[in-house]
Amino acid sequence: MLPTPYVKCDYEKVYEPAEDSFLLLDSLEKDQLYLSERFNNTLSVVCELGPGSGIITTFMMQNTMPTNNSIYFALDINPWALEATTDTAIRNSCEKSYLETIQSNLTSSIRNNEIDILVFNPPYVPAETIPDIPMDKNDIDTWLDLALVGGEDGMKITQLVLDQLDSILSINGVAYILFCARNKPENIVKLMKNQWSIELVEHRKAGWEVLSVYRFSRKSL
Amino acid sequence: MKFLTTNFLKCSVQACDTSNDNFPLSYDGSKCQLEQDESIEFNPEFLVNILDRVEWSAILQVAADLGNTSLPPNKPIFEDKNSLNEDDMAILRDLHILLIQTSIVEGEMKCKNCGHTYYIKNSIPNLLLPPHLA
Repeated sequence: MLPTPYVKCDYEKVYEPAEDSFLLLDSLEKDQLYLSERFNNTLSVVCELGPGSGIITTFMMQNTMPTNNSIYFALDINPWALEATTDTAIRNSCEKSYLETIQSNLTSSIRNNEIDILVFNPPYVPAETIPDIPMDKNDIDTWLDLALVGGEDGMKITQLVLDQLDSILSINGVAYILFCARNKPENIVKLMKNQWSIELVEHRKAGWEVLSVYRFSRKSL
Repeated sequence: MKFLTTNFLKCSVQACDTSNDNFPLSYDGSKCQLEQDESIEFNPEFLVNILDRVEWSAILQVAADLGNTSLPPNKPIFEDKNSLNEDDMAILRDLHILLIQTSIVEGEMKCKNCGHTYYIKNSIPNLLLPPHLA
């Protein structure tokens, strides 16, 4: 088992690593060989959406996932999350990895079809509304809410990413996305399986919540 | 923000996606403060793989924006990744210094299509749009 990065952040400002974060770490660990073979001998562009504390990106850098020819982009709307991600990387001696933290609304700032590995632990908690992006960095309660709430079925933000997946991922790209049972992931699989190859990598009961990580890639021709 | 990252950033405005001018962003050389960061070690194989991937014309544009017009007009090509000679190594070393060690710590960049200006502060580029553009 690969070690979990040491994380120490201000959890009033960024999402504290929890069962969902750990399930993503386990999924990536399970797929380590698959990823290193898939991206062998080429540059890999890894992009995490909503890194929060930075635990997942740091884990990938620490374990040179998929290979040691990788660059890492951590994209968050929350400025505190970008600072936390850099801190966590340094705390775990990852300063020799290529990490860029970018303040961005999902992947809108990244050229199309350039991301080889997309990792997303989305705001998936069902809620009636999603707050607007605050204008003030010190509006920390709203930043934290944005890390959690996902509108109707908790799918509003995840759906935006799924709808654009074809223009986000590179030809060979893969996406790891976390769902809770209330997101009804089996419906998503049904709707997308004609165009995408979709694998359930890990699932786990966490308290009263059932979490799952699915891997999306293009169907091979 | 490391120089290489400019090869992946485009304007966040969705309407600009249909134009060819949303990439690369145009960097304001007079307002960009550069620093050299040597924490990432030189790795020739990594550089060759990066070169395979980058859009060289965009590298040239951003370098010119920042006052460097000494790059070769065509992307350097390495015939055999596994036997790089001394000249190859010298080129790769220079590119390591430019693409990976050079970072923009403070600066401004603009979309050539819509003209929106984005800022880099403390090495972090901010590509969020104000509400009226989002």
